[in-house]
Amino acid sequence: MNWTELITGLVMILIQLALFLLLAPLVTAWVRKVKAIMQNRQGPRMMQPYSDLWKLLRKEVIQPATASWIFTITPYVVFVTTLSVALIVPIFTTILPLGFIGDVIALVYILATARFFTALAGLDAGSPFGGLGSSREMSLASIIEPAMMLAIFTAAVTAGSTNLGTIAAQADVGLLLTPAHLFAFLGLFIVAMAETGRIPVDNPATHLELTMIHEAMILEYSGKYLALMEWASSMKLLLFLTLLANVFLPWGISNDLSLVSLGVGAVGYGLKIFALATVMAVIECSTAKLRLFRVPDLLAASFVLSLIALILFYLLGGESHAVL
Amino acid sequence: MSSRLIMETLQSEFADHLAKIYVQHEDEIQVELLSERLDWLPKICLFVHHQWKAFFVSAWASDGCKQEHQFKLHYLFSLDNEKLFLVIHAPVSADQPDFPSVAAHLIAANWAEREIQDTFGLTAVGHPNPKALWSHPDWPSSTFAMRKDFSIHSNPTRVDGDFPIASVEGEGVLEIPVGPIHAGIIEPGHFRFSVAGEPIIRLQAQLFYTHKGTEKLAEGLSPERVLHLSERVSGDSTFGHSTAFCHAVERMCGLTIPERAQSLRILCLELERIHNHLSDIGMIANDVAFLIGYAHAMRVREDVMSLNERLWGSRLIRGVNALGGVRRDLSLSIIPEIKSLMIKVREELRELDQILMNSASVVDRLETTGILHQSTAKDIGIVGIAGRASGLDRDFRRDHPHLGYSRLTFNVPTRQTGDVMARTQVRIDEVMESTQIIEQILQKIPDGPIKISTPELPKSAFALGYCEGWRGPILHALETDSHGAITRYKIDDPSFHNWPALLFAVQGNIVPDFPLINKSFNLSYSGNDR
Repeated sequence: MNWTELITGLVMILIQLALFLLLAPLVTAWVRKVKAIMQNRQGPRMMQPYSDLWKLLRKEVIQPATASWIFTITPYVVFVTTLSVALIVPIFTTILPLGFIGDVIALVYILATARFFTALAGLDAGSPFGGLGSSREMSLASIIEPAMMLAIFTAAVTAGSTNLGTIAAQADVGLLLTPAHLFAFLGLFIVAMAETGRIPVDNPATHLELTMIHEAMILEYSGKYLALMEWASSMKLLLFLTLLANVFLPWGISNDLSLVSLGVGAVGYGLKIFALATVMAVIECSTAKLRLFRVPDLLAASFVLSLIALILFYLLGGESHAVL
Repeated sequence: MSSRLIMETLQSEFADHLAKIYVQHEDEIQVELLSERLDWLPKICLFVHHQWKAFFVSAWASDGCKQEHQFKLHYLFSLDNEKLFLVIHAPVSADQPDFPSVAAHLIAANWAEREIQDTFGLTAVGHPNPKALWSHPDWPSSTFAMRKDFSIHSNPTRVDGDFPIASVEGEGVLEIPVGPIHAGIIEPGHFRFSVAGEPIIRLQAQLFYTHKGTEKLAEGLSPERVLHLSERVSGDSTFGHSTAFCHAVERMCGLTIPERAQSLRILCLELERIHNHLSDIGMIANDVAFLIGYAHAMRVREDVMSLNERLWGSRLIRGVNALGGVRRDLSLSIIPEIKSLMIKVREELRELDQILMNSASVVDRLETTGILHQSTAKDIGIVGIAGRASGLDRDFRRDHPHLGYSRLTFNVPTRQTGDVMARTQVRIDEVMESTQIIEQILQKIPDGPIKISTPELPKSAFALGYCEGWRGPILHALETDSHGAITRYKIDDPSFHNWPALLFAVQGNIVPDFPLINKSFNLSYSGNDR
């Protein structure tokens, strides 16, 4: 590796991280805006999440008397783990400088780490709602994780690699999705709704503690801790939209580092993200939240969709494109 | 059946135990029990309940210790089919402050008797569950807030100590304490869930955090001032409660308000019903996170509230009722506007109904959630929309009409399933009925004055005032002393009867469904606590 490549790599890392950090609140704002418009409301302005984060970051932290160090480190763990995923996910280029350190399996487990600490912190805070949220989160996680694995694996099998950069690059062969991709996309879309706490599964805007899942766990957080948690939630939403966009719809993604193709990749990425976010918001507005005990059914549907995708891939004589 | 026949039957059955039996205000049969025959109280109540299928409405006490050295109990029954009320008055000696419990046989009287125990210090002997209801655990025992010797300005010292709530024990059973302070703009109340995983085994509630001493405050005040209190019993039922109070005063004075005022009161009552029902339908949609349904309902509701503001100068119709009529008249020019809004409300609601019922995810959340069985509802005395959703076909507008409701044609919507869906649909149907009641009113609104002056209150009198509020029947009882001053003002809000329903309806449901079930009842804390 020569110096130019190293520096380019470092710059790419920084750009990816910065983009991820800065874009995430905007996507959240966009989802809120679309939801507001669907309800005939004006909605908060697009910069509102940034203002909220800025406000929270400067505010005093109030910690429950019963909380231990777990409560204190969790926001950092969650924030850093979520951000680190940005390094192994192709954003607008398939060239991942740190692609070698992790693949889809790592992604699932890095997210699981964040989930694990959030659930612990929910218990640690000592409020009954936190415990309620943690217990719900963990029981749903046991179904979400396999469904997510299977969906991404379908793409991985097609591409013949678990490296997300390679998957994205391989999927860009034709303009048409294979049936296998289509089913896996639907499967992962459901997982994304569940993982990011969107409406059929969880309601990020509710004030009713007894119905919360994710919000219940972070109920006791305030100040900069809350800012980190909120920011991480936004990043997680962006992460899943990115996965959906780049693993299944990688049209336009840049395969080299020329400025033109990077530009095309960036514009295409932006369009795809906001289109997917719009779809998500429309779904959120037009469906009611599921009864908690029906959520496993929805995730089972996701699992089945991914399974169908996998079967279709082999039935239709699929062949791995990648050179292993 | 006439009131005469009822009186004769009672006379022949209980002649030896009754001091007096007479008819007052045409539809009230007053039965006074002899003081030494107090032990016959449950028997007479049960006889009335079984003989004429009378529903228990309310029970309350009053303190006459100064003049007569005795308390008085009042048990009110409604004979729906005969359009009659029956009030049983029973004196309780101050020397022996206890009485045989009616709730032991008629569970609907459960909360009412416990409130009498807590606020008057009269023991209901044989009550199946005599623990404190109104008074919180730190309230000093033998301090009875509704007795005449308790000053409204006194501030009793609270008792120190731990006050454990009886809990369900067993492996894997958890306690979830919720409240009294809740998220959002919700009144205070403490709930204690005993859960096994998500399913609720038992729910206990500690209410009465918003007790304001309204009944006590009213004692000695002029009726004009008590009117202001009545408007503040429960904010969402401002007009319902003030109508019940005005009705009580007017009946006591033997007044009939002008026909135009009657029509305007019906208009206000129905507008109050519409805006509250629309809000509830929207909030039910919001609680299942069906945002479009929520936005839709709230938009229509806002139109009704804006109309309220233009008609009466108050979005919640406060300050409109007056003793002897209403304060604000309706100008002819605005009538077409009301009519067109009623058509709009119907159309919009029909559309919303379709959106909700065609959405599988919404229907799945509402159906079979929070079922209140008809037998339970009947036994524990559930009233209003909650009762009608469980198949109890009762409505004061039809069963005890005044204000000219008897001249109108309308249906009383009911459902049999008693789930959240039933309570939602009863609301939708009632809004439809209310819009066409308003249209009937506007068709032939009589001319004339909107208010007549009221004389001084008569001395040593008793009167009931009532109406069907949007949540259920609202009943106020008024007593005056030998100088014509108000000595007892009893407020009966439907929430007081329906809170126990919630405790039954949630059993076996899962914790995240509780807010939805709670919202489908939408009970008032303030009206319950007073």
